[in-house]
Amino acid sequence: MSHFRVFFKKEMVEHIRTYKLLIMLVVFFIFGIMNPLTAKLTPELLEKFMPEGVLISLPEPSSIDSWAQFYKNITQMGLIVTVLVFSSVLSSELSKGTLINLLTKGLSRTAVIMGKFAAMLTIWTASLATAFVTTWGYTVFLFSDDYSANLFSSVFCLWLFGVFILAVLLCSSTLAASSYGALLLTGAAAVCLAILNIFPKAWKYNPLSLAGKNMELVTNSIMFSSLSYAIGVTVAAAIALLAAAVLIFKRKQL
Amino acid sequence: MSVLEISDLRMSFGSHQVLQGLNMVVPENSIFGFVGKNGAGKTTTMRIVVGLLKPDSGTVKVCGEEVVYGDTKTNRHIGFLPDVPEFYGYMRPMEYLKLCGEITGLPSKKIKERSEELLELVGLKDVNRRIGGFSRGMKQRLGIAQALLNEPKLLICDEPTSALDPIGRKQILDILASIKGRTTVVFSTHILADVERICDRIAVLDQGILVLSGTISEIQKQYQRNSFMIKFATADQAAEFSASEELQQLGVKVVQEENVLAITIEDHSLRGQVLIDLLAAKQITPEKFEVVEPTLESLFAEVVQ
Repeated sequence: MSHFRVFFKKEMVEHIRTYKLLIMLVVFFIFGIMNPLTAKLTPELLEKFMPEGVLISLPEPSSIDSWAQFYKNITQMGLIVTVLVFSSVLSSELSKGTLINLLTKGLSRTAVIMGKFAAMLTIWTASLATAFVTTWGYTVFLFSDDYSANLFSSVFCLWLFGVFILAVLLCSSTLAASSYGALLLTGAAAVCLAILNIFPKAWKYNPLSLAGKNMELVTNSIMFSSLSYAIGVTVAAAIALLAAAVLIFKRKQL
Repeated sequence: MSVLEISDLRMSFGSHQVLQGLNMVVPENSIFGFVGKNGAGKTTTMRIVVGLLKPDSGTVKVCGEEVVYGDTKTNRHIGFLPDVPEFYGYMRPMEYLKLCGEITGLPSKKIKERSEELLELVGLKDVNRRIGGFSRGMKQRLGIAQALLNEPKLLICDEPTSALDPIGRKQILDILASIKGRTTVVFSTHILADVERICDRIAVLDQGILVLSGTISEIQKQYQRNSFMIKFATADQAAEFSASEELQQLGVKVVQEENVLAITIEDHSLRGQVLIDLLAAKQITPEKFEVVEPTLESLFAEVVQ
């Protein structure tokens, strides 16, 4: 069995037994349920809690509102939970020394990085799919309109941004001594991308656009092809970050 | 044939030079005690041998093959037990050994057979709970099992007994002694009693260089001090013998403690017989006459002072 497969299997077992997979699936399932429900109930709640005599006119909620909740929740809380869950994925192994036995048995360091990344990717994909399918099913049930478009392409953009963030986190973990260091570096990378968006022309290439333009795709305000440069940059950056993580980890003295 | 050859190994951490040209050879099938004070460079040396650290210069050969940092091919000959072996607490011993076996590329059937055999050897055969609940001693024993899984020619143990209670220490030493003849064991420690108990060769490391190396008997012979212990019937008799002119003429160093004299003859051409002859001439029959062998502890103190 190749080292990658052995290590990927070990990582998945670890995520299952340490409840990381369960936490991710439950949190994303709750988000999935909450999105359409919040969209449906918000106008009713606002009406109910308005002081007597105050009239408020709100448009009838639609599937658009449900997907707006989905992208708001996943790009904020969803990504934060994901980064927190995986923040110690490498640093805890390095600080405890659990990799020593395996590396001295000949385990390739490339397999360690790739195995960890593949396991994080699997869980992120499964969690996002859970939230997406739940939101989609509940939205169809609550709102029988067809205002929402490009659902798959918009969620693909968010998924790809998540992949990029995981690559940043893993690369940061090879550089930082602790999980806090890795979190700090990942946060710093996100802030840098946000600062880059100050320049109007930058959004076309900025990976952050993949987590910011989703609703414009859903409402058909922009074409998917307008994000092609951002997708290309994100894929290239994720590959470069993974390659850097492997190189740094290979040189790390343990 | 030598299993491990280290030549002119140098390594520094910042401005602190840990290894300053270490040369060492470990012959096949020996139990090799690697002794030194804390911070002498034992762990650094071992981590270089298993490819976890990159030396500044020098070469390390395992079974004739050079160790290349970042390319752990020589590790197929090695089993390594770190000072504090850490495991995945959510795994059971069999699962952990299976993971190690799959990494070393052993076939599934062989992994199962070997794991059962080794868990029996280390006394964990019937322990099927998660490793997270193991004691320190149990972890050390599991560490030995994982290190021996690939039937290594060289087993490297970094201070395997230093933090264990007397029973745990005995168990580990018994396991190491039981594999003698099948695997060469290099075992670092600062507990000299452990070395005396199971090692046949020792090397003493001090400030990054080897200050002493060889079999224990060779070293004891080399550091033999022509020392004797004579126990007299009374303290007065001991004092009288100590003050005698004939004894002083032999050029001896005498230390009296009640009715016991510790005598060191400085002239190496003279043997203990001269003392026996002198006792006979004075018609003294001592209660005890003993040739004092240098202890490992006294040797260690002498070479690393």
